[in-house]
Amino acid sequence: MSICIDPLGDAGLTFFSKISASITHEIKNSLAVMNESAGYLEDVTLMARKGIPLDPDRLAALASTMLKQVQRSNAILKNMNRLAHSLDEDSRQTDLNELVELMAHLSERTVVTKGFRLAVTVPDQPPAVFTHPFFLQNLIWLMVNFVMTVCGENKNIMMEPAKTRTGAEIRFSGLDRLTDESVLDFLAQTGGMMLDALNAACHPAANQGRITISLPDDIRQPAISQQKQ
Amino acid sequence: MRILLVDDEKEFVSTLAERLSLRDIEADWVTSAREAEQIIDTRHYDLVVLDVKMPHMGGRQLRQILEKKQPGIKTIYVTGHGSEEDYKAGSAEAAYYLMKPININDLIDKIKTALAT
Repeated sequence: MSICIDPLGDAGLTFFSKISASITHEIKNSLAVMNESAGYLEDVTLMARKGIPLDPDRLAALASTMLKQVQRSNAILKNMNRLAHSLDEDSRQTDLNELVELMAHLSERTVVTKGFRLAVTVPDQPPAVFTHPFFLQNLIWLMVNFVMTVCGENKNIMMEPAKTRTGAEIRFSGLDRLTDESVLDFLAQTGGMMLDALNAACHPAANQGRITISLPDDIRQPAISQQKQ
Repeated sequence: MRILLVDDEKEFVSTLAERLSLRDIEADWVTSAREAEQIIDTRHYDLVVLDVKMPHMGGRQLRQILEKKQPGIKTIYVTGHGSEEDYKAGSAEAAYYLMKPININDLIDKIKTALAT
């Protein structure tokens, strides 16, 4: 029996599952810190019952650690919740500053584990476009994974959204090993399909170590690649 | 026995070391593979507890380096990452593979069993 899987749906599920795995890993790390802190409190309580004095400074530090981890877990879950709700509507007016920052947070563990650093610079006036937020998040995640393969020796990647005449763009820079061939490979895979779904276009500038994703002001407009720039 | 704990979560690894010391197990801790490579050149360890996923170099790669520096050193992996692939590979390489959050008594049992073999 063969199973027919919609390629965009398959890409979306892959993206969502990878992010979910990364998030649960983060939460488990946070729980592990809280578990050790609570365990230590249990240990010193047992010692106090045997007459060994408690160290108030150490207890205060433990309380601070636990509060910090609660805030960390809460922030992780808020981001996961925002990602989950990005499928509430097909398309909507989308603040790119918020979306890019969310994706930077959600990708952080993957990026850092691979030894890279992803910095985000956002304009004071948030660029907004009418688009499909989930597909755009998926595209950014694919882009982040792609740019790590073509990043320079310093392993610093910059991601910047900006307003343009025809909509908005998201620029990735620091890509010293970017080549036209690497971009073609990326476009031949899920990246190209996701760009089409968003009516978006990809503009590599290999000699400047930069790649830019152009988004139309409204996803229902003709594809940017067909528009006069 | 002397244990080395390696995990990029500083508050986790430092508190775990403190709790082990309360149980008379001498444990040093570091937060990166690079620090682990340095400290193992200066001290002998019977066993290392390694986080599988760390920035720059994970526990599985680090284990190979530490094994060359101190042949026969025992390894226990800990991770918050539960992929089946990692579990299978990690279980084959290390004495034990524990999921975070860990139970300290369970860890101590595993340390003792690993060192007894």
